[in-house]
Amino acid sequence: MSPARYPARDQVAIVGVGRSPYSRDRQGCTPGSLVIDATIAALRDCGLGAGDVDGICGSMVAAQYVQAALGIPAVTWFANPPAVIGNQIVAAVAAIASGVCDTALVYHHAYRLPWASAAAAKDPFRRRSTVGMADSRSFWGTGHVDNGAGSMFGAVPYAAWAGRYLHDYGYGRDRLGLVAINSRTNAVSNPDAVYREPLTMEDYLDGRMVREPLCVYDMDVPIDGADAFVLTTAERARDLPHPSVLVHAATLGHTDYGSEEQLRDLDHAGQVVVARRLWEISELGRDDMDLLYPYEGFSNIMLCWLENLGFCGRGEAGDFMVEHWDDAQQRLLVNGRVPVNSHGGSLSEGGTQGSGAVREAVRQLRGTLAERQVHGARAALVTPGGFYFNSQGMILRRD
Amino acid sequence: MDSDEALLEAWPGVRIDRDNIEYYRALLDRRLVVARCRDCRTWHHPPRSVCPRCWSRSIGAEPVSGRGTVAFSTIVHGRRGGSAGGRLVAAVELDEQEALRIAALVVEADQAAVTPGTEVELTWLEREGRPVPAFRPVAGSPAAARATAADEQAVQEGASS
Repeated sequence: MSPARYPARDQVAIVGVGRSPYSRDRQGCTPGSLVIDATIAALRDCGLGAGDVDGICGSMVAAQYVQAALGIPAVTWFANPPAVIGNQIVAAVAAIASGVCDTALVYHHAYRLPWASAAAAKDPFRRRSTVGMADSRSFWGTGHVDNGAGSMFGAVPYAAWAGRYLHDYGYGRDRLGLVAINSRTNAVSNPDAVYREPLTMEDYLDGRMVREPLCVYDMDVPIDGADAFVLTTAERARDLPHPSVLVHAATLGHTDYGSEEQLRDLDHAGQVVVARRLWEISELGRDDMDLLYPYEGFSNIMLCWLENLGFCGRGEAGDFMVEHWDDAQQRLLVNGRVPVNSHGGSLSEGGTQGSGAVREAVRQLRGTLAERQVHGARAALVTPGGFYFNSQGMILRRD
Repeated sequence: MDSDEALLEAWPGVRIDRDNIEYYRALLDRRLVVARCRDCRTWHHPPRSVCPRCWSRSIGAEPVSGRGTVAFSTIVHGRRGGSAGGRLVAAVELDEQEALRIAALVVEADQAAVTPGTEVELTWLEREGRPVPAFRPVAGSPAAARATAADEQAVQEGASS
């Protein structure tokens, strides 16, 4: 069957990647400085300068701020869509493929706000950084967000959905633990990861319980850091220094049940829409993937991605983890071959809502990593986001 | 409370607007109301100005029975974590309509016994002098228990921990 209409297929390449190192104990950075570190690094990575950029698309730091900071003389397109990082990449691919711009700078940062940790709360500049900050009411554009102690907001509903999942399918916490161990094992061979001490199941089960059934190891690690990408036409990419990594397919997904406590069930999560659409527009299938990056900022999200992407049926991901677990390596290798979150994911490399996964996928497909390189990798499936607001997916391939 | 001005003053910091004002007006009288289409009778929450089923703009705020079941829930522990218990936050599916849910604390409960399907009923707590809707397992439920000091403490906590 020929794939669905998708004129952007393979038309746009990720040619530059840059980062501001992930750190848990950094002083002196700001959201703006993190983004500037990463965007300059991404432009230098592909040998382009300010005058080559005519599109800017970021998450929270305004495109106009970055343009002024880097002295980018003129852009014909800019945007700050809210979901990370697929929202930015889908938008940039659409803008480039349609000719609204030719070369776009894309970025996302994470900055530890005072409520991220006790250490962050002690930093007077972090406390001051919330002045004027928009809250969830601004996101919704309406007045009704229950922000009291009984609200389903942020991490709380993910924990509650995790509990519902374990309850419905009869799993224990150990299946979530395999997600955490997999990420940690991969992080051991990533010098850029913030947590690199091996994690055992015993460690996991002893982990401090935070929101049942999720313990401290089930939740992404707060960091300061940023990732940035340069996207341009596939044609122009062939003149740039690195092997081209093409955006083969990219999409967002959402349903009309798209909020925490109103999400009807996991069959109505945005992930379902993402998976259906990705496989409709892709010429590649599941078995063509050499690398998988299902988001695991909360460990249960990854289990649902595996199910929704069709690696197994609903409720089967807990068993899938066991069946595809490489005991000697202490990590998941799908069909004995394909690593999952090869960089250590949000749980161990650092929590950047999936931008780290995009960077890792690009570097793997270039074939230039040292220890953890998957040799001959041609295609990667990256699916950032959870159940509501931010389900996203992309297939990247080596040109 | 009749005057909108007085109602706004009663809920400082809450972004009350024309779509949700009846919800907050009712809370002050310890009544839980939910937005409902006057034409096709479909409920929705949180309150908006249109029915998602029939697009009618005629939306009322109607009282609900306060009976429902826990759809999913979590126990949120403080920074020190662990065995001391925590606050139990649930998405309660109201009996009025499938998948119509209210997020709230569950109190007077044996927390470990609360699971998806636990039957609950509406009760009320106070936070900074204002009524807050909460739920408790129905009498006779294996999850029912006496109120504890933790229940009182839970409602005073923020949602961010």
